[in-house]
Amino acid sequence: MSAESESNSGLLRSLVPPDQVDRLFGVCGAHGWKLLAASAVVGALPPLLGLQQGYYMTVISEMFLFAILALSWDIVGGQTGYPSFGNMAFFGIGAYTTAILIKDFAISFPVAMVVAGLVAVAFAAVIGAVVLRLRGHYFAIATLGVLLAAQQISRNLDITGGASGKILLEVPSGTVFYYLFLGVLVVEMGVVYYLSNTRFGFILNAIRDDEEKATAMGFNTTYYKTAAWMLASLFTGVAGGAYSLFNTFIDPQTAYNGAWNVELIAMALLGGSGTVAGPVIGAFGLHTVIEVVETAFVGWQLVLLGIVVIVTVIGFPEGAVGTLREYASEMEYYKRGGMAATDSGEEVSADE
Amino acid sequence: MAFTQFVVNGLLIGALFAAVAVGFALIWGVVDIINLAHGEMVMLGGYTSYWVLTLVTGNAEGSPLLFLVTIPVAILVLFGVGYALQRTLVSRVIGTDIFLTLLVTFGISIAIQQLALQAWSANPRSIQVSFADPSFTVAGLVVPKMKLVAFVGAIVLTAALYLFLQKTRTGRAIRAVSQNPEAAALVGIDVEHTRAVTFGVSSAIAGGVGAFIATILNIQPQMGLIYTLKSFVIVVFGGVGSIPGALVGGLLLGSVEELTAGFISSRWTLAVSFTLLIVLLVVKPQGLFGEGAEQ
Repeated sequence: MSAESESNSGLLRSLVPPDQVDRLFGVCGAHGWKLLAASAVVGALPPLLGLQQGYYMTVISEMFLFAILALSWDIVGGQTGYPSFGNMAFFGIGAYTTAILIKDFAISFPVAMVVAGLVAVAFAAVIGAVVLRLRGHYFAIATLGVLLAAQQISRNLDITGGASGKILLEVPSGTVFYYLFLGVLVVEMGVVYYLSNTRFGFILNAIRDDEEKATAMGFNTTYYKTAAWMLASLFTGVAGGAYSLFNTFIDPQTAYNGAWNVELIAMALLGGSGTVAGPVIGAFGLHTVIEVVETAFVGWQLVLLGIVVIVTVIGFPEGAVGTLREYASEMEYYKRGGMAATDSGEEVSADE
Repeated sequence: MAFTQFVVNGLLIGALFAAVAVGFALIWGVVDIINLAHGEMVMLGGYTSYWVLTLVTGNAEGSPLLFLVTIPVAILVLFGVGYALQRTLVSRVIGTDIFLTLLVTFGISIAIQQLALQAWSANPRSIQVSFADPSFTVAGLVVPKMKLVAFVGAIVLTAALYLFLQKTRTGRAIRAVSQNPEAAALVGIDVEHTRAVTFGVSSAIAGGVGAFIATILNIQPQMGLIYTLKSFVIVVFGGVGSIPGALVGGLLLGSVEELTAGFISSRWTLAVSFTLLIVLLVVKPQGLFGEGAEQ
């Protein structure tokens, strides 16, 4: 990976010196909360500036939605090292919960959404106790099995409307969902950012790096894994709960969408798995690309998704943030004289 | 009587599932990759046979013999596809994180599935094989002839793979790479090539089975993932690296599905299979016949 970036980085390095990138990371690290608040304000601006409805409103809301999902996936997939192919099960359960509560029980939207999140968490607690005992291939396939089993069950029950799903007619305006998704995303980023500097976050990373050692340190890893899994399901479930109304329609295919599950993994990986900003950046980036392709070549967006996944995994599995960080940390290496003999030395001292 | 009939149906279908799973298990064992695109090979095999038959007869109908002639074509094409996939894409992630290998094959699966959707639309298709008398009755049990042909075909493919692995030089090389890639390389085996051949052979078998599936069920671009997961159920049940285990697992899964369809409703078969998958993974992840899968 680093050998590759060295070969093509001559020009790049003079334009954007690694230590400036490093400094950028330092600034981001020191002012995380301020940056998050600033991003939230910037995100809240478009509707105030006149963007009330239409295509762009929907697209931006979807970006926030995918960012929520990608970041939730990353809590378990990136931070804890349990890559799940079944996160969309929480989404579908949340979506169906609100749809059923609103349509069949005439419960108000905010209450239904909270319930959706709680139902997803309860489901996650039960399923997590079972599948989190597995590792590697077995965990990944078991979660995929959970997703598809949930999809099949929803397809066959009467209360979920069977294969034709549920249509919701009375829904709030687009602005409501815009702020709802933005709000959930900001809260989630805050929570993940806060946790990444706590004992809880460190233990999750320890489980990812070496679960046996973490166990040997005396941590009840099952407890932490399940907690992370439930936290992820809470945000995914709430997002799903809002989605069924946002989309005005829900059926087993959209609610438990396996392709979406891969899409949000790709987003987390592209942006940088195991970071706070990475999955969000990845979600914004990939969703923009997919949206452009969808408008230009209808039906080809999933072909593109497959190709993006393959290229990302083979090309740069560290993602954008990870690759940048690697690039930034090269500077430290040069300062210690590591590659001084093979690389031009003046660049090293130029910015010091 | 109904029970026996459902079991017979299940066994006939189950052999096809088993043959797909055997290839899946082979890649898992030798290349150490869960090939989530394995079901797409079944799909591509079905379409290959379908299009060859359409090319010859003008519509996808034909005599049993004509249909059987398309099987080698499907096998050859899918061998090429599998070999190329391993050589160009999958080989690049071998030895990295398990998760990345899963993701690459999932990416391949989505790309193939969506390309097929663009090329051939989402309409289910099937191959009509004409028999003078479509089924016969043995001791009160109805046996459709095409299902019997498919059953025999799947068993032949599985047996051929078994013999290939046991008796041929390439087969021995594949087993050597599966046991220890470094040592295999030391005695002069081209490991990369052998892995690609493994991938090719597995895909070829899946493709051949896909052609049979096109005759007794139907084929459509998004069918693949279901077959991948069924293979996983079977392999987990039978144990990684055990062909007899996969055969028993396949026949059992087929029976369970047919019994569910018969006594409850055909809508519940997939839900039952996937639930079975989760239960099996949790209760018995090492399989019934396998060497014991490392966690």
